[in-house]
Amino acid sequence: MIAQPLPPAIGPEFEARVEVDGSSRAVVVLFWGTSLLWLTVASLAGIISSIKLHSPDFLGGIEWLTFGRIRAVHWDTAIYGFGGLAASGTLLWLQARLCQVRLPYRNLLLVGGVVFNIGILLGVIGILMGQSTGVETLEFPLWAMPLLVVPYVFIVIANFTMYFKKVTKHTYVSQWYLMAVTVWFPILVLSAEACTNLGAVDGVAQAIANWWYGHNVVGLFATPTGIAAAYYLIPKVIGKPIHSYHLSLLGFWSNAIFYNWAGTHHLTGGPLPAWTITLGVVGSLMMFIPVITIGINHHMTMLGSFHLLKTSPTLRFAVMGSMVYTLSSFQGSLEALRSHQEVTHFTHYTIGHVHFGMYGFFAPLMFAMMYYGMPRLMDQEWSSARLIRIHFWCTLVGMLIYVFAMCYAGIRQGLMMNDPAVPFLNIVRFTIPYLGLRTLGGVILLSGTIAFLINFIRIITPHKYTWATPTLLDSERDWRKVVAKEKEQ
Amino acid sequence: MSRTFILALGIFLTIASSITGLVIIPNWQFKALQPIVKLDGTRYPEPYFGEQAKGREIYINQGCIYCHTQQVRMKGYGADIRRGWGTRRSVPRDYLMDRPHQLGTMRTGPDLASIGARQPSAEWHALHLYNPQITSPGSVMPRFEYFFREVYDGEVIPNDAVKIPRGRQASNATHIVPTDRGRAVIAYLKRLNQSYPLPEANQ
Amino acid sequence: MFIWSFALISGITMVWLLAWAIRRGEFQNMREGARMIFDDQEPAGLVTDHFPGEPR
Ligand code: HEC
Repeated sequence: MIAQPLPPAIGPEFEARVEVDGSSRAVVVLFWGTSLLWLTVASLAGIISSIKLHSPDFLGGIEWLTFGRIRAVHWDTAIYGFGGLAASGTLLWLQARLCQVRLPYRNLLLVGGVVFNIGILLGVIGILMGQSTGVETLEFPLWAMPLLVVPYVFIVIANFTMYFKKVTKHTYVSQWYLMAVTVWFPILVLSAEACTNLGAVDGVAQAIANWWYGHNVVGLFATPTGIAAAYYLIPKVIGKPIHSYHLSLLGFWSNAIFYNWAGTHHLTGGPLPAWTITLGVVGSLMMFIPVITIGINHHMTMLGSFHLLKTSPTLRFAVMGSMVYTLSSFQGSLEALRSHQEVTHFTHYTIGHVHFGMYGFFAPLMFAMMYYGMPRLMDQEWSSARLIRIHFWCTLVGMLIYVFAMCYAGIRQGLMMNDPAVPFLNIVRFTIPYLGLRTLGGVILLSGTIAFLINFIRIITPHKYTWATPTLLDSERDWRKVVAKEKEQ
Repeated sequence: MSRTFILALGIFLTIASSITGLVIIPNWQFKALQPIVKLDGTRYPEPYFGEQAKGREIYINQGCIYCHTQQVRMKGYGADIRRGWGTRRSVPRDYLMDRPHQLGTMRTGPDLASIGARQPSAEWHALHLYNPQITSPGSVMPRFEYFFREVYDGEVIPNDAVKIPRGRQASNATHIVPTDRGRAVIAYLKRLNQSYPLPEANQ
Repeated sequence: MFIWSFALISGITMVWLLAWAIRRGEFQNMREGARMIFDDQEPAGLVTDHFPGEPR
């Protein structure tokens, strides 16, 4: 390995970066920290529902813990609690850094972060008490939604304010995605709520609105944030500009145009006009364009730097995320085909795919963001390299077990379901060992999360660790000392 | 026009076009749909009222949708019809009264679009909901025992009690009596029936 | 029918937008955009992350 010379640590650009990071500290740490708490809750709820699916008497007969409620809590805390908070923290930190402006409205955002958390908590209690709206992904009772929407408006405003005040001359790829998220997400939530729970449309049109939302909340909220993170982290960590900026532009717009339309493939074979489903299939297939361009960009940038995976935790998670992005998107596009859906629709295969995307692509990129950002925000190193390794291997292995078990069982389940000679209960019996395997995968994932949580709690509390070799923040510390001395004089 | 403005406008247009194309236009297409008047003068589909409406609410808040669909795919696409889950494919008119919709996307359990026709027995539903192992050993469906009151050996047996088959009694309860909620869910399940041959389902 | 006209219209719009963007010079200075994440203190070529307390 080549020893890296450290550049001089004093200079106006460095000063500016430290100041910008400092301004976003409290807000971003609040968002990221609580997102990890929700990830833990979501994992626990997921494991409980998973166990209930192979051992239905586990915690059986308790109404508020019945499968249909705990399952809804699992997904809603995963997407809004973990996804919403982690992505918003990422958005604020990254946008401030890329615009090189201090984070505005800090107090408002802090209050917003707290309110958002309360909103999710109340929503969860509502579902457990039986007040779910019954619309998948929008289960939170209507009265809890303002507590989620209003804080998000603060985030949108802060994001635009930073963008308009930006000091830098250029706009970075990640920024397009972040801007897009803040335009899409509020429109998505408001129009989906209007179409479903507020009753603007009903019957089958409502089902389409439901899946337009259900698919887009992943595709237009989680995915762009994940891509933005990958576009920033991979080049930044390895110190090499992105492979092709032109391609990234093509990737962005084709993603924006096609992803929107893909949602109706969740209703293939359903009672919809055939053309709406065809649109969904076309949209899904067109996704090959952005996925390939984004994939080329990320993987070509990495080319020649794979040895760094050994030494950089951020890069490990970021590369895992971007690779799974390519794979799971291919899987998703093929899944939309009618002949494929005939078998795998309505089976565990879909669940496998969702977790491949969320836990193989989105979550690792958020973890990567935190691994990179937290030391810079807290001016303190991660306390344990071992815990980072445990987190990484648990995430990778747990995710692979989970996805393999669900996808394989799903295909077999679908084939049996399409053969009327197989009694239904035989299919149920067939899936049980795989559902058990899934519980195992879930427990491994949760163990990784707990390792991360321990490390996270340690980094936000003052600790003293001295390393034998220089660490990445030493240069920053030296600079701080110089400034402090100058001030004293 | 500034670049930022173009960026924001483009981003907005992408989402506006898809909701127009996928939700607003189909909704407008469905506006013309009306319930059909059957030969005997009744209408299909009818609104949910009374016990059925209450049963539907319970179906929603218990999350039955995470394991059951309510949509039958067309002949030749999957085996829905050959499995006896319906006699024809589902069409938009079947769902005119559904708010919120409960189409579902997961078949851990069988499709329920026409469960009322396939399984009209209230006793069967009562035993099955009380403890699925009684009627379907090996099932992974949760027990919904809180929809029922248990009657023990020696107690007076009410008229509407359902006998638990011998050998399937887990405790010393011999009979179960559906509570209001139990009756509502069963009424809802019995009403789910898409067997009326709507003309558009043959196209 | 509907699908093809939809595909055609969106395709034409895309090509037109692309041509318009090129004419406006949106594609110049691309390299600089890609480099804006680096600065004097973290220049291109510098690896900026590694496991804590371990040799680089
Ligand atoms: C964990 C998943 C799960 C949940 C939640 C669930 N079910 Fe089931 N259900 C099944 C499975 C598996 C079967 C097939 C085996 C059986 O008959 O029990 C089934 C079968 C049924 C059947 C019989 C269908 C037939 O064709 O014989 C009915 C009726 C039914 N469920 C109603 C309900 C209702 C009502 C609810 C909500 C209160 C519900 N289920 C919740 C899994 C589930």
